[in-house]
Amino acid sequence: MTVLRGLALTLLALLLSAAPAAAQGALTVQVSTEPPGLDLTSNPSSAIAGVVFYNVQEALVKVDRHGKLVPWLAERWYTTDSKNYTFFLRKGVRFHNGREMKAADVKFALDRAVNPETKHPYRVQYENVQDVIVKDDYTISVTLKLVQANFLWTVARQGSVIYPREAVDTLKTQPMGTGPFTVADWVRGDRIVLVKNKDYWQKGLPRLDKVTYRFIPDPNSALASLKSGDIDVSAFGLGPENVDELKKDGRFQVILGDTTNDVTLSMNNSKKPYLDKRVRLAITHAINKEEVLKGAMFGYGKILGSNVDPLNPYYVDVSKREPYDPAKAKKLLAEAGYPNGFEATFKVAPQYYYTVRSAEVIVNQLAKVGIRAKIQQIEWGQWLAQVFCLKPCENPDYDMSIIGHAEAWDIGNFANPKYYFRWDSPEFQALFKESEVTVDDRKRRELYVKMQQMLADEAPAVWLYMHPRLVVTKKGVTGIWKDLPVPSLDLSEVGWQK
Amino acid sequence: MLLTLLFVSLLVFMVVRVLPGDPALIMLGIEASPDAVARMRESLGLDRPVPVQYAEWAGRAVLGDLGRSIQYDVPVAGLIASRLSVTLPLTIMAAALMLMAAIPLGVFAATRHRRWGDYAAMTLSQLGIAVPGFWAGLLLILLFSVKLGWFQAGGFDGWGQGAGHALKSLLLPAVALGLFQFAVLARTTRSALLEVLREEYVKTARAKGVAERAVIFRHALKNAMIPILTVAGVQLGQLMAGSIILESVFYLPGLGRLALGAISARDLPVVQGVVLFVASAIVVINAAVDMLYGVLDPRIRYE
Repeated sequence: MTVLRGLALTLLALLLSAAPAAAQGALTVQVSTEPPGLDLTSNPSSAIAGVVFYNVQEALVKVDRHGKLVPWLAERWYTTDSKNYTFFLRKGVRFHNGREMKAADVKFALDRAVNPETKHPYRVQYENVQDVIVKDDYTISVTLKLVQANFLWTVARQGSVIYPREAVDTLKTQPMGTGPFTVADWVRGDRIVLVKNKDYWQKGLPRLDKVTYRFIPDPNSALASLKSGDIDVSAFGLGPENVDELKKDGRFQVILGDTTNDVTLSMNNSKKPYLDKRVRLAITHAINKEEVLKGAMFGYGKILGSNVDPLNPYYVDVSKREPYDPAKAKKLLAEAGYPNGFEATFKVAPQYYYTVRSAEVIVNQLAKVGIRAKIQQIEWGQWLAQVFCLKPCENPDYDMSIIGHAEAWDIGNFANPKYYFRWDSPEFQALFKESEVTVDDRKRRELYVKMQQMLADEAPAVWLYMHPRLVVTKKGVTGIWKDLPVPSLDLSEVGWQK
Repeated sequence: MLLTLLFVSLLVFMVVRVLPGDPALIMLGIEASPDAVARMRESLGLDRPVPVQYAEWAGRAVLGDLGRSIQYDVPVAGLIASRLSVTLPLTIMAAALMLMAAIPLGVFAATRHRRWGDYAAMTLSQLGIAVPGFWAGLLLILLFSVKLGWFQAGGFDGWGQGAGHALKSLLLPAVALGLFQFAVLARTTRSALLEVLREEYVKTARAKGVAERAVIFRHALKNAMIPILTVAGVQLGQLMAGSIILESVFYLPGLGRLALGAISARDLPVVQGVVLFVASAIVVINAAVDMLYGVLDPRIRYE
């Protein structure tokens, strides 16, 4: 009995013990995926970008919240031929170890990106770099082998961050850069803590003293944490089903915006019946995208017609070119030799719940035109092995699938016949190749419009919708980007309203 | 015991390699180039023959070196140790709550056999068996965290902010974790005690005028402890293994979530290390339980 009494008193003491109060200069952010390491130069994962990019490490050129390219570590640059670039670095910018950033550091980072010995995941983007020359401590020139229209985007992407050479070996666990925060702690499986860089080169920033990233993969747990006050921001992971309820809750503010995440229904163009364009178009016409958006995303997001999202400056709305038309779908199927439809399987990974929900709506729509599809939910690793099929896999093992492609400017995937869509169109490949070396904005836009129209008309895939940006914060949190033109979570201007 | 561990190590090693999914591709994601994936695979040693990989891993494991985590790039042994600082107290708390609640309830039911007290107690235990742990966890979060605000909805801030704060964040998960095992143990206690209460020596004790309290606690319960202990010992292992779901509901950085995350990410060294560790722990717990029999019952002694 004494033991029981003692235990009961202990329980009471636990109940009454208060949690430490949260400081106003601190922010707790929920994300759904823990980064697989913190090295932006060896892994293109957007989970790493969400923590490190913009916060710990920066690049020469920045994509701002409106999707515009603006000065960052380079205060200006010039080129006359889109082949030779000169960047003028900001003076007095220091790395987290106190040393000033100089042109030699930029050369080191870019040379390392080009070097095939380094495991840079986007090395193909840097293969066009011929030479990097240090002119003086704050001036650096980059010469390309060929004209590259998007070179400044390459310099602005997450793989182009600048870091001190002496910190190369610790990039994966303790990345160092010039950013407004430094990594203070990483409790694997639980949280990453960033603290303010007091010597940050942008005066007055960051507004926060400390940021704690909490990894909460389950959307229900994330919602409970938000409602119980354990977290201040839910940055990635809350579902659209919670939006209406949270909008009405006066404690929170809901930020809805655009992203570059194109939710795409892929078809295996290398096998029957999908190698027949009429079948692919039939599937396109059978799908009511408005219904899919409503059913899967509660109406949040934007309908797409091709692989270019509304945040891209060359975006055109081609979603009406092959509209919802079940009668036309049946006609096309009959012409292609499938008057009674056919059987098909959707392989989707439930880890990305929106893919399963979308598939459920689409299966019903396809049934109305005679395509008897079923859903096979497979684990992410299996999806990568069977659907995504990288070497040594030779042939993707799937009929149809759905996944979001988050990368900006990724129309080039359709110019790659080995990509898992397995669509091989020399005409499209030629258009894309030309667009990569066309620097005149008007001409480049024309090429992009042609490519989007061609994608819509050839239908190697069906572009369903742009996944919305959905961030929920406690009232009083300011500075969070509304749109997400690049995978990131810029916290430099985020703070609490005074 | 060693043979069991060898068998477990072989089994887990083969199973994770048979699973579809490329660890290198999972790590780098679908935006990476095939060359980058191939280079990553090579750097992780995944291109070497499987028997060579096993021999190297097993040889190091025997010396306590479980390799390095693919996703975290830290020693697996260190990762397991850091996660144990959550899972071990969670399991012990769940076990303590389970014992605190189950044994008194079982005694209560047995001493009111076929009366309202017995029926009420068994209905309660039936609820404990029927309600899934994750659902109980979500209900506890809804009530005590979201509605009342008495507890965090999940997470573990570490021991640095005081033992009280740390234990408080484990209380709700411990209750949810121990619920099913509490129900089973309550029934086991009731059955074991009922059987002992039918023994002749108990009737003799009562006839001699020994106080009922003494009959139950000094004579009967002590003898009923062997089957209770057997079940509790097995349940301790199950609590540790069962924490995987509750750790996800409460997003605790424990061993269960480490294993789950490692399987999804195909972090082979971590999966192998965790399974081997848990198997070893269960073997040790079972051996300890066997030893305890000798303490409880002088008739059972090991030479």
